Amino acid sequence: MVRNKLAAGLKKIYPAGRILTGTLEKKMYSYDSSFYARFRDFIPDAVVLPRSTAEVSATMKLASEHGIPVVPRGAGSGETCGCLAVRGGIVLDFSSWDDVEEVDPENMQVFARPGVVHYQLNEHLADFGLFFPPDPGSTRMCTIGGMVANNSSGLRAVKYGTTEQYVLGLEVVLPDGRIIETGGVNCRALKNVSGLNLTKLFVGSEGILGVITMVRLRVWPRPKARGLAMAVFTDLEAAPAAVLDVYQSGILPSGIEILDSSAIHAVNLYNPAINLPEAEAILIFEVDGNPAGVTWEGEKIVEITKKRASRVEWSTEPGRMAELWRGRSVVAVAAARLRPDGSRIFAGEDISVPLSKVTEALRRIKELGRQHEITVVNYGHIGDGNIHTAPVINLDNPEEVARANALVDAIHRLAIELGGSTTGEHGVGAVRNQYAADEHGRAADIMKQIKETLDPENIMNPGKLLPPGEAGKSV
Amino acid sequence: MSEELAGLKEHYMRCVRCGQCRSVCPVFREIRNETVSPRGKIFLAHLLSSGEAKVNNEAASLLSQCLLCRACSVECPSAIPVHEIVTAARSLAAKKLPSPLKSLLHRKIWSSPARLNFSVSLFRHCQGLLKPAATLNLLPPALSLPGRLPRRPARPSIPGQTPASGKAKMRVGYFLGCSTNYLFPGIARSTVAVLARLGCEVVLPQELKCCGLPQLAAGEDKTAAHMASANLEAFRRLNVKVVVSDCASCTATLKESFPQNGSNGIKVLDLSELLAVLTEGNELKFKTINRVVTYHDPCHLANAQSITAAPRNLLRRICTEFREMPGAAECCGGGGSFVLHHYGTGMAILNKKILNLKKTGAETVATSCPNCIMQLRHGLLKHGSGTEVVSVVQLLAESLEITF
Ligand SMILES: Cc1cc2nc3c(=O)[nH]c(=O)nc-3n(C[C@H](O)[C@H](O)[C@H](O)COP(=O)(O)OP(=O)(O)OC[C@H]3O[C@@H](n4cnc5c(N)ncnc54)[C@H](O)[C@@H]3O)c2cc1C
Ligand code: SF4
Ligand code: SF4
Repeated sequence: MVRNKLAAGLKKIYPAGRILTGTLEKKMYSYDSSFYARFRDFIPDAVVLPRSTAEVSATMKLASEHGIPVVPRGAGSGETCGCLAVRGGIVLDFSSWDDVEEVDPENMQVFARPGVVHYQLNEHLADFGLFFPPDPGSTRMCTIGGMVANNSSGLRAVKYGTTEQYVLGLEVVLPDGRIIETGGVNCRALKNVSGLNLTKLFVGSEGILGVITMVRLRVWPRPKARGLAMAVFTDLEAAPAAVLDVYQSGILPSGIEILDSSAIHAVNLYNPAINLPEAEAILIFEVDGNPAGVTWEGEKIVEITKKRASRVEWSTEPGRMAELWRGRSVVAVAAARLRPDGSRIFAGEDISVPLSKVTEALRRIKELGRQHEITVVNYGHIGDGNIHTAPVINLDNPEEVARANALVDAIHRLAIELGGSTTGEHGVGAVRNQYAADEHGRAADIMKQIKETLDPENIMNPGKLLPPGEAGKSV
Repeated sequence: MSEELAGLKEHYMRCVRCGQCRSVCPVFREIRNETVSPRGKIFLAHLLSSGEAKVNNEAASLLSQCLLCRACSVECPSAIPVHEIVTAARSLAAKKLPSPLKSLLHRKIWSSPARLNFSVSLFRHCQGLLKPAATLNLLPPALSLPGRLPRRPARPSIPGQTPASGKAKMRVGYFLGCSTNYLFPGIARSTVAVLARLGCEVVLPQELKCCGLPQLAAGEDKTAAHMASANLEAFRRLNVKVVVSDCASCTATLKESFPQNGSNGIKVLDLSELLAVLTEGNELKFKTINRVVTYHDPCHLANAQSITAAPRNLLRRICTEFREMPGAAECCGGGGSFVLHHYGTGMAILNKKILNLKKTGAETVATSCPNCIMQLRHGLLKHGSGTEVVSVVQLLAESLEITF
């Protein structure tokens, strides 16, 4: 009954081509990039492709009238089932609403609709000599809406921080259909401390408080030069120590990445031409800025890391830099090569620990892998303690899948034990919410209260982020 | 599990559903929803293969949303051959949802040169008769794609054996594909004459069939395999060791289907590869063609065979000016029969191509596939543009001052 009303209501809002109701069509919205989604059947009742704030607002009104869940979705590159209809309802696919509304170079900001893809935004900004610094590994697909909702970051977070530092304001459609502008109505100022900071509330809210329909982002001048240093270590513990050495010398690289021995081996199996030196760990430092500064910092990094590394190479030559970078850029998928029947899974893939605990975390994740008899590859943004672990398993073996789930749980608990977090950048969604109470204590209750206030019917992306059994009506 | 997809399981299981392939898929970029994304097609193939979803009209229609351009297969960091998985899933669909008309077309008509010849000439006659209907826009727009067919195909005008001018350096078998034969006989004549001028003895077997790509794309893989065997046999009888074609779609297909059907030492080369070798250090005089030229990469050359530099180098050598076009390697939206089923999407993709082409200000666009030529001409015509579309080999013929 409700479903019939839903269909009729949506038809009034969207033209036929922008409502998907076919059985298989809807099933194609049952996945994102997470491991968890492979074993679940989260099928929405309808998918719509909004292209205006009015359409989103009308959809929210319809949904709240009938108590139907609504789930915003960008590219579905997330790792947490965040964009999946875990309780059915309507999926809002923003892939086709991808207008960069305005670049305002004078005020160093840009206005973008939620479906704009990250690399396309930066291509657009390049014409103005500007860029939006956060750079997730998923740049080719992820959307700005998804990035803001997940507070994404990436390889250069060490120097440039995360998405939240760049969001100046948002247009948000609330669960009841009201439209608000955060960061000041018609405001183009770069600094604004008037009022409660609602922008920050919505950044990283994973679509559980409202739908983002416009993003006002601060952008930066594009750096003029860039250089890469690769340092090779025969001892795993020496790598995090070298990172601290570099920081203590007063240098802030734009990125610092690590590959452990299994990651190095996997990359070489994947593409022997990349030919990384087989070692316990490799660090890649990136520095950017003005040409003279880049050279000075690069030389300094070489001098410092040489004390612990068996080999260090520095380059500012684009071809060589691309070669040095290739190992890092393919490792996420190369991991699967460690066994012939293996698939890399995205689970337990994003813990974040204090810098002082990185070595221990790397060592203990390996141990956990051995205990659970699962191959794990470690790599990630060591510069800010964010470790990407890639378990490699045979997806067809249920017993192995069960062991993988146990391993993932142990990795998440390890992160909390070490004073870190279960997720550094990918988010909570429906895969890490069982840790929310442990991670946040009483603060989790306040999160629930905020959710209840804004979404009393619990229709806005329910079943995510908050501890299970969250407040409000269960739909 | 379906037999068609079983062999590809290790590939589709490796898909981590990251969605990176969305960034390059021309169909996704137009339609912009998950159901047409390469990732979605892998997911669908997985469902069909495991039996979790049934082959039905919805599945077939979703599978039809693919140009087989392979951009996704090249982009995928897990190196998943998405196009092969789509082809295999279509083959499964063709078996489960047989279409008598399509089977007749692929199995009985297209696989037989005589019947194909007859059908094409019939089509040509109909074109004349239906002209008034076409002018009144009463016909499906896709029918206007090939333009008015030439009066005669290429085949009758090409001898079974063309001697090399001067001393023969090599003997090559010419694979005359359907599009070149029926739509662009001038390209075939240029290919043979240029190869002969550059020192090749060129043989053309009498009994060649189509390369089998239309059959593969429609899921008729068995028919395609028979055709590949028959074509191999035709070249073997003439003792040919190197087969060359001026159609990138044909060479991409043959490079895969010949080895699968026991090619025994017969090597397939795209014409652009062979021309690069033959013109390298050649003391022949190349007259400079006074024209600003740009190049469009056929998907079946750039994505399927990784050939991008050779044709550009040649154009730089023989034309006064070469200008790179933005998005040169993006599909033109033809995709064989794709544009017949999805004319609107095909035209939207083509439109982007034409806009990029216009940005170069080139007077001539050269490419290496007759199917792209057909599509580009159609687009330019719609834009009322006078830009000429030719095959690279035709420009080379001009530069070598070959007259017909
Ligand atoms: C290979 C790979 C590499 C990755 N690398 C990184 C990395 O380096 N750093 C990083 O941070 N992440 C990374 N990710 C994770 C992921 O790409 C990011 O979280 C990304 O920002 C998600 O964007 P999306 O458009 O795919 O969003 P989706 O996955 O579609 O959605 C993510 C969340 O955002 C919500 N959402 C989406 N749009 C809106 C909207 N308009 N309004 C409200 N809520 C919305 C959804 O409901 C969901 O909760 C990676 C993923 C992959 C597959
Ligand atoms: S890029 Fe490859 S691995 Fe990623 S979704 Fe596409 S096919 Fe799957
Ligand atoms: S082959 Fe081309 S059209 Fe087909 S899914 Fe891949 S990129 Fe899209």
